[in-house]
Amino acid sequence: MLTIENLHAHYGLSHVLQGVSLHGGPGEVVGLFGRNGVGKTTILKTIAGWVPATSGSVRLDGADLAGRTPDAIARLGLGLVPEDRRIFPGLSVEENLRLGLLQCPARSRRENEAAIGRAFARFPRLAERRHQMGTTLSGGEQQMLAMARVMVGTAKLLLIDEPTEGLAPMIVDEIFAIIGDLKRAGLTILLVEQNIHRALDVADRFYAVERGRVTLEGDAASPKDRARLMETVSV
Amino acid sequence: MAETIDYLQFILAPQALNGLSLGVAVVLMALGLTIIFGLLDVINMAHGEFYAMGAFLALSLAGLGVGFWALLVLVPLLMIPIGWAAERWLIQRVFHSRDRHILTLLLTFGLGMILEDVLKLAYGPNTMRPETPIAGGTEILGMFLPNYRLFLIGFGLALIAAVWVVVFRTRLGAMVRAAAFDKDMASSLGVPVRRVYAGTFAFGVALAGLSGVLLAPIYSVFPTMGRDFILMAFTVVIVGGMGSIQGAVVAGLLLTQVQAISSLYISPVWSDPLVFGIMVLVLMVRPRGLFGRLGNA
Repeated sequence: MLTIENLHAHYGLSHVLQGVSLHGGPGEVVGLFGRNGVGKTTILKTIAGWVPATSGSVRLDGADLAGRTPDAIARLGLGLVPEDRRIFPGLSVEENLRLGLLQCPARSRRENEAAIGRAFARFPRLAERRHQMGTTLSGGEQQMLAMARVMVGTAKLLLIDEPTEGLAPMIVDEIFAIIGDLKRAGLTILLVEQNIHRALDVADRFYAVERGRVTLEGDAASPKDRARLMETVSV
Repeated sequence: MAETIDYLQFILAPQALNGLSLGVAVVLMALGLTIIFGLLDVINMAHGEFYAMGAFLALSLAGLGVGFWALLVLVPLLMIPIGWAAERWLIQRVFHSRDRHILTLLLTFGLGMILEDVLKLAYGPNTMRPETPIAGGTEILGMFLPNYRLFLIGFGLALIAAVWVVVFRTRLGAMVRAAAFDKDMASSLGVPVRRVYAGTFAFGVALAGLSGVLLAPIYSVFPTMGRDFILMAFTVVIVGGMGSIQGAVVAGLLLTQVQAISSLYISPVWSDPLVFGIMVLVLMVRPRGLFGRLGNA
């Protein structure tokens, strides 16, 4: 589904990604772990087309993403749930949600409305607040909205960046339940998360990132691999 | 008592209505400016020349026998590809550089000068005055009002309402507001940001052209006609809040009323300084203007 080979990226003069290679198979949840500032978010931003790759390749379902704009990449089936959720102020909850439909301009109106209906049924809190401005929601609700926004579209690959950051434990449970649902629905998920233990429970495989490079690949179910990961990411 | 009513009826009210007819045209200009600024972060210095271009296009087409009603549709339609091309081929060239504000300002300023000279070369520097498309007048409550001004007020207000509906009540408008606030996130949801940019710029340019068509019969047509008008439109955008749609409407109607009413009491020469004085005052007290920017809550 997702194949990244020898990916390099720069912010100005700083060489942020120094040859990242990783892959995610269909229906697989892949964890991406590492300390702050090692390039995890940049990997996601480069896949999404926000940061141009200096060299290397990113393939989504066989299609090379090089030189494509973020909206073209979205229409190829990429869904992004970014750090800080990025809910649009000045847009209602429903308007925010409906922007997710732009991923599939060819889909019929009936199917679109059905997708919106399913999202509101899955997240009754959002349905109750559909006419409120999106940014008046609580942090947890905004995270739900950011997840729902990619669920109404036709994403095959989801990039989820720090979805539980700053949220109460009960909401964290709910977020991981949603990720579990998405996994069962057959989506490929690349998950960046500081809460490594919770993330490993839902992940199939993981990568550890250090200073712009992938330094470890492991099986989420293997105690040996988990132990090596903890050595890598602990200070 | 009777004197007061006479004064209201025969002096104040007609002047206010004149101000309103100018006001709706100013609002149409300011709407284009403020939407372009709100979305693209570009101050379109050529806006006044696009307005002049609309007026001249109307003049030429009318010479070919196109009727006024057709002009109201045709001129904005013709302005759309012009605006689209200006955004795609000129503004996009400097849009991603770090000096975007200065470069786009200079670029559109230069574009305006070129357009103005092209109009001078094509039509000569003299003033032309199209015939009033709607002749006659109507008596309302004892006041005699030119029909064309009444039409201008009604049509302008309907158009302003239509723009509001498009921006705040449609999916297209939600795309524009989302892109104005966070272009990367909007893009990653599938909003075709480049097309939204070009389309919005073209839409603003078409509104300017339409104002040109509407005001030509009142203020005459000449190549530098955009200059006076654009100052007023910029003032409106600054007072209302750069990038705010509500602000453009409220400030546009308010400032043209100030101009119209004040010229009853002071020499009209002083009504412009009064309007600009209000702008300076607003900038001192509330620098971001009366209302917030497009895409922001």
